[in-house]
Amino acid sequence: MTAATPPGATPGATPPHPAPDAPARTEAPSRAGGPDDLAAAAPPAKPARPAQPAPSAPPMKRTSAARPRVTALRVGPRAAVTLLVASLLGLAMFCWPLLVPPQPQGVAHAAQAPLLFVVLLPVILAVVLAELTEGGLDPKTLALLGVLAALNAALRPLGAGTAGIETVFFLLILAGRVFGPGFGFALGATSLFASALLTAGVGPWLPFQMMAAAWVGLGAGLLPRRPTGRAEIAMLAAYGAASAYVFGFVMNLWFWPFAIGDGTQLSFDPEAGPVANLHTFFLYTLATSAFGWDTGRAITNIVAIAVLGPAVLATLRRAARRAAFDTPVSFAAAEPQGARRP
Amino acid sequence: MSGDRTPGRPGRRPSLTWPPLARPLHPGAWWLWALGLAVAASRTTNPLLLAMILAVAAYVVVRRRGDAPWALSFRMYLALGAFIIVMRVAFRVVFGGGQGDTVLFTLPEIPLPEAAAGIRLFGEVAAEQLLGGFYDGLRLATMVVCVGAANSLADPKRMLKALPGALYEVGASVVVALTVAPQLVESVRRVRRARRLRGAAGKGRRALRGIIIPVLEDALNRSLALAAAMASRGYGRTAGADPRTRLITGVLVIVGLVGVCGGLYGVLDAAAPPLLGAPLLLGGGAVALAGLLVGGRRVRRTGYRPDRWQPAELLTAGAGAATAALMFLTAGVDPENLYPSLSPLSWPELSLVPVLAVLAGLLPAFLTPEPPRSAATPPAAPYTGGATGGPGAGGANRTRPRKEPVP
Repeated sequence: MTAATPPGATPGATPPHPAPDAPARTEAPSRAGGPDDLAAAAPPAKPARPAQPAPSAPPMKRTSAARPRVTALRVGPRAAVTLLVASLLGLAMFCWPLLVPPQPQGVAHAAQAPLLFVVLLPVILAVVLAELTEGGLDPKTLALLGVLAALNAALRPLGAGTAGIETVFFLLILAGRVFGPGFGFALGATSLFASALLTAGVGPWLPFQMMAAAWVGLGAGLLPRRPTGRAEIAMLAAYGAASAYVFGFVMNLWFWPFAIGDGTQLSFDPEAGPVANLHTFFLYTLATSAFGWDTGRAITNIVAIAVLGPAVLATLRRAARRAAFDTPVSFAAAEPQGARRP
Repeated sequence: MSGDRTPGRPGRRPSLTWPPLARPLHPGAWWLWALGLAVAASRTTNPLLLAMILAVAAYVVVRRRGDAPWALSFRMYLALGAFIIVMRVAFRVVFGGGQGDTVLFTLPEIPLPEAAAGIRLFGEVAAEQLLGGFYDGLRLATMVVCVGAANSLADPKRMLKALPGALYEVGASVVVALTVAPQLVESVRRVRRARRLRGAAGKGRRALRGIIIPVLEDALNRSLALAAAMASRGYGRTAGADPRTRLITGVLVIVGLVGVCGGLYGVLDAAAPPLLGAPLLLGGGAVALAGLLVGGRRVRRTGYRPDRWQPAELLTAGAGAATAALMFLTAGVDPENLYPSLSPLSWPELSLVPVLAVLAGLLPAFLTPEPPRSAATPPAAPYTGGATGGPGAGGANRTRPRKEPVP
């Protein structure tokens, strides 16, 4: 998917970036950069470029067109196929109450289905993550993944328990936006995994939570690149709200037959068709979580993204720039030493 | 670690003294034990049996948990179980729809409009309904509590070591996350102190941003510093895999996933032949897992103090397996007492085999070594760096019990 980024565009796109604000902040790259800042350490390009972008654009727009797409975790074609198939499989496993055949004879047939899914989903998740990191993970990506997952895991218990104030998602969405879909997927999965390990929350539900959160991160990375500034924040906030409801919806759907058992009017009825079950499920999710948890989660996402979003995005982008993911690394033989020893 | 080496005995052999030396058990053993109990619980709705399983799990947890933070989580799972039961019963009362003969009491009915599928709220509440909800809820709660027992007994960081090699990088980043998370608290404290010294107001939206952004910046800087440290120590050196292995991995993974797709179709379509169902599903999963293992061979790593399966571990896992197996056996022989009847209400009874099955789960409480306590030995962080021993795993050079040739 994002692997389709033309690789030739990236090395050239990074250096001209600081060019438009040339006179005001001439010393900025050297001050902020230091020796580790590979991306900004290409000043020779600067004087050559100043005429190129139209400086008439308001300062907010400046970064829009030229902003390099950062892909901290490249999704190769094989990984993309795996990701796609595994997402479809995961979706089917989430939606199993609607897919189970309506005939009564199908009940015995599909009785073990959810148990099989509980066994299989971890395998699928492991396969996808292994494929995503196949060929080795850049140490910078690995460290960023770890640190952002730690932040998410630390944010999660802040709101847990208080009526759906769920703080995991906003940083996940912003990071997925900045670092790309592959990284968002991995971050969603690792965040919930680390959080479960920290709070001793490992259980059959964990693979499902990991998968759903990974989708949230993936989707944030796949949002259109074009909007910037306020439009970007608005788009991310809307995505945050939508993803909060979808997350609650699929998590409920998977667990619905277990959550209330059978024998109530809101129960899963294996003999009814998928439409009837979907209707019942809507009522169930309205009655239980849509107003409380899901709305709380959506409001948390909107408020957090609107208030903190611009600053956090800037911070993450600065880190992405300093990490210089797209800079090709090459090793060359040191000639003098080779000449010395025959 | 106490008493490095008794003369005449190689260091590797498990100690034959009784009581055995305190050591943490392999986390996998605890998980197998707990899953055995949970499977056993899933086979019955008899509240007496379920209560016994709960008691067994709780007793083993109390006897064998250490004093690490995760050991305190068992209470949380008990609360969760109680919540599940209450939810189920409450649902039966509110949405029950008045099934059952033995009406206990009648609440005023509230019919909902047609869009809500003609559901009515409240109404007559029957004993069968309440008991049915209670039995079902208790079963699920027991399974959840069993999982909680595993959570509070098994060391999560040791569990990370068991990740397959293909997940080495992801495991490493989770290790980074687990290591960094406690440092964030310190980071927040530092930022707040700096703000106070500057005389900034402590409340409101600005304060939130003033704390979160510096903490985020600090964490990101730290991650880049960590990455530089890792790169300079040669991390990522093994990144290249030979093309043949990569091809085999790819083929296995894709074929496995396609197999899972077919199996899923077979499971969810009643008209499909039975062979297309669960066998294909599990077979596809196994092939994908094989791909995972083959792909993991590119990462060569050594284990620092690997966790070994010793008799105590085997016994613990075996106890769980025995509980589950005996319960399955009972389900074949006399299933009546496993599912107490509701339609003529009857008092649940116990028969011998299931009781023995549940009691088998109690064995680890007595026959396994005690966990190390922090008073006697240093706290439970002797292994650093979990899966890798790599990033962030500096310091803490514990000496391994020396292996010397027996004279």
